[in-house]
Amino acid sequence: MSFSQVILVAVVFAPGAVFALLSLSWLLGWVPGERAISVITGGTFSLCALGLAALLWRLGSSGSTAVVVTFGNWFAVQDYRFPLVLMADRLSLPFLAMTVVLSGLIGQFSSTYLHREPGFFRFFVLLHLFAFGSLLAFAAGSFDLLAGGWEIVGITSVLLIGFFQLRPAPVENGLRVFAVYRATDIGLLVSVFAMHHWTGTAMFTTGPPLLTGKQALIVCLLLLLAASGKAAQVPFSGWLPRAMEGPTPSSAIFYGAISIHAGAYLLLRIQPLLAQSVLASAVVILIGAATAIHGTIVGRVTSDAKTSLAYASLTQVGVMFVEIGIGWTSVAVVHILGHAMVRTMQFLRAPSMLHDDHQIHSAIGGVPERAETQFEDLLPETLRLWLYRWAFDRGHLDTILDRWLVQPLVYVSRLLARLDDVGSPVHATRSAPATVSVVDVARQGGD
Amino acid sequence: MPDVLQIAGGPLAGYIAIAVPWLSALTVALYRRHVRIIGFAAALITAIACALPLGAASSSQSLYQALMFLFSCLTLGATVILPHRDCTAGSIGGILFILGSTLLAYSADNLLILLAAWILSAIPFFVPRWFRAHSWRPRAGLLLSAIALALAIAQISAGAHTIWIVNLKGQNPGGVAAFGLLVAAVIFRKGIFPAHAWVADAAEGGPAIPTALLFNGHFGALLVAKLIVPLFAGTAAVWLPVLSYLAMATALYVAIRALTENSPRRLLAFIALSQSAAILAGLESGTAEGITGALVHWYVVTVSTVGLFGILRLLEVRFGENLTVSTHLGLAGHAPRLAVSFVVLGLALVGLPGTLSFCSQDLLIHGTLQSHPLTGLLLPIATAMNAVSVFRMFTRLFLGKRRTGFTAVVDALPRERWILAVALVFVVLGGLFPDVIVARRSAEAELVERAIRVHPPISQIFNRQ
Repeated sequence: MSFSQVILVAVVFAPGAVFALLSLSWLLGWVPGERAISVITGGTFSLCALGLAALLWRLGSSGSTAVVVTFGNWFAVQDYRFPLVLMADRLSLPFLAMTVVLSGLIGQFSSTYLHREPGFFRFFVLLHLFAFGSLLAFAAGSFDLLAGGWEIVGITSVLLIGFFQLRPAPVENGLRVFAVYRATDIGLLVSVFAMHHWTGTAMFTTGPPLLTGKQALIVCLLLLLAASGKAAQVPFSGWLPRAMEGPTPSSAIFYGAISIHAGAYLLLRIQPLLAQSVLASAVVILIGAATAIHGTIVGRVTSDAKTSLAYASLTQVGVMFVEIGIGWTSVAVVHILGHAMVRTMQFLRAPSMLHDDHQIHSAIGGVPERAETQFEDLLPETLRLWLYRWAFDRGHLDTILDRWLVQPLVYVSRLLARLDDVGSPVHATRSAPATVSVVDVARQGGD
Repeated sequence: MPDVLQIAGGPLAGYIAIAVPWLSALTVALYRRHVRIIGFAAALITAIACALPLGAASSSQSLYQALMFLFSCLTLGATVILPHRDCTAGSIGGILFILGSTLLAYSADNLLILLAAWILSAIPFFVPRWFRAHSWRPRAGLLLSAIALALAIAQISAGAHTIWIVNLKGQNPGGVAAFGLLVAAVIFRKGIFPAHAWVADAAEGGPAIPTALLFNGHFGALLVAKLIVPLFAGTAAVWLPVLSYLAMATALYVAIRALTENSPRRLLAFIALSQSAAILAGLESGTAEGITGALVHWYVVTVSTVGLFGILRLLEVRFGENLTVSTHLGLAGHAPRLAVSFVVLGLALVGLPGTLSFCSQDLLIHGTLQSHPLTGLLLPIATAMNAVSVFRMFTRLFLGKRRTGFTAVVDALPRERWILAVALVFVVLGGLFPDVIVARRSAEAELVERAIRVHPPISQIFNRQ
């Protein structure tokens, strides 16, 4: 294994190793202090950043365009193989660097921001798991491995949305986001199967799998479903404001920087396939444009800073989808990197900005009057009001999904429950305990 | 005459493995003291007896040998994790009874012994003072499955004049009628739609841990692997897809059903049933990936569901037996280790990356989609729904405001912690190094695949026409 390969492996697996060590220490009953966690996190991501810099330097000096590390097959059954291949090429390297740098910055910011927070340790454990998942997804040399990293990013995202676990709202919102992720990830799983079925592999170390036009269309649409779910594109945008329930640093890194751009990365990875299919490209452009318009209109009526930033992110990611659909991949990569940095900074600045804002208001004795003219003032009042209502309900997207997908599913589920109860006069019940149970306390609203 | 018990390394290990649980169950029934120690020792000896010949087992034997070892380990864990309240002579005796009969079924090479094991494993669930549920449906399901199997065996014996499985391979004994009766036995025992309702009733109204052991004997899948495919290769190739379609429909049906279920035990039973129905679908797929995935998934489902039922029972003992997932109970504050074990085992059941089920689900989905491109889609959809149900259950039970005002409460005790740690290590290490398990199972999968591949599945026949 060459020096570059060793570095790539170390960078990808270092956060995973830290996650494993921290989890193990907790299981054994020892939790490191805040300072130790902060040092470990800072050290890990600093070393990863140095490693990536060295990797870039080596690549630049040797003139090669990619580093590929092949570990063989994770598992194999006859002709079916799950290859364990890492790759750092011109597309994945910027994403790897972005992940390492922003994870390190978020780690440092959070060590102060979450000081004495009961979930401090949990946050950092999940941050390392998230970084590992992201690095795995971006450095994967096959769609099989990418799916693994993708799922890890999803689950950590959900667990961090429910970070403030004592309040029901974040927990329920986390569940909603999890449902959207799992539903749309079916596209990724089925597309991986389709690639294996048609070409015998889902590796892309030497370019994407060779598919016919029709096959490329099917694979692209399936992957677009997964990308849309992860990037909160229309019609799945409704989960994004719900995800703002998490702590600000996690909102910054997930929905300002890395997780929200994972969908765009996936589409960039399959850009040659998209170029094969005009229809798939058109669908990408359509979804991106719809999301950009949706994001910018809804973002104008949001009343809290984080949600407003989330919709601003959504708008930009929509524009990135359009760029990818058109084929402007370099523009999209630069757009992603720039956007991730700026948006992370904005998210991290949001709490202190609100504080500053309140101080300014109290100093000048009230809220300053609105001086500038908004674009929406140019619209007729009727349309403005209609748009306001539409935007206030976030484009009715959640309502539509609830009415046409969730409610029918719930209705069918309850119908099946009634069918199951036919012939069974009562649900078999066990005797309640003599002492007061947690459910009794919960029902009485006690704490 | 072939060996009665199909165990590698000579019959001695087999006889020890089978006899120790029965003798110990008898000892517990008579002595009625130190029951946990007796149960633990019996399960440990059985596990060692099953483990010793593992390396020497041939491809055709190693699956059952590995399953015997796995089930012994599960029973060992169950005897340790069983709450003090449940640790009676009856419970431990019953658990050893289930262990003995399950191992007998896994190792049987004789139809009558298989039938006896099938019936014996169900007996504790008929006896009112033992593991009997309040509802009549579990008894009906188990009884009908036993009747169907008995009739099938009678039909086979009458036609072929032998009861030795090894002599019946590939002979299609008893024809389509025997095959149909065997499939009916699978449907009733496994809880395949439309005979699925008893599973939730048994989980709801019976003791949690013994019922989980009953489910995870996976006698339905055993019958498919041991009798239906080897004996009825031709008929199975044509008609077994029907069972596969029913299994996939069951997986989706109970996954949808679970979405609105608020009783933790019923919900867990639905999730377990949905995931274990995938085993049948994989076994039938006729592809090496699907069959290997099914065999690996067998392990995952077994360990995860017994672990989850165990945790649920521990929660009931600590926080009250009327737990619900209709509201947030906030138990993570009281029992963080149980919470983490629950979420890892729960997500391990539904394909969390880094656990063994990520690999088994990957293989299962590839196998089933390859053999049934359209109906195979039901499997990832059902799995996605199950993941949502698992996460809903976790969030409702463990997250939310920490409650006080009731008799509290400790996190996992050391003995419980060790058992849960072993289960977690199994699913996680299995996920990190899946090839250790997959490579062994794929050899057995190829045997099953070859048996089915002799004749094309019914869908391909229709496609050709």
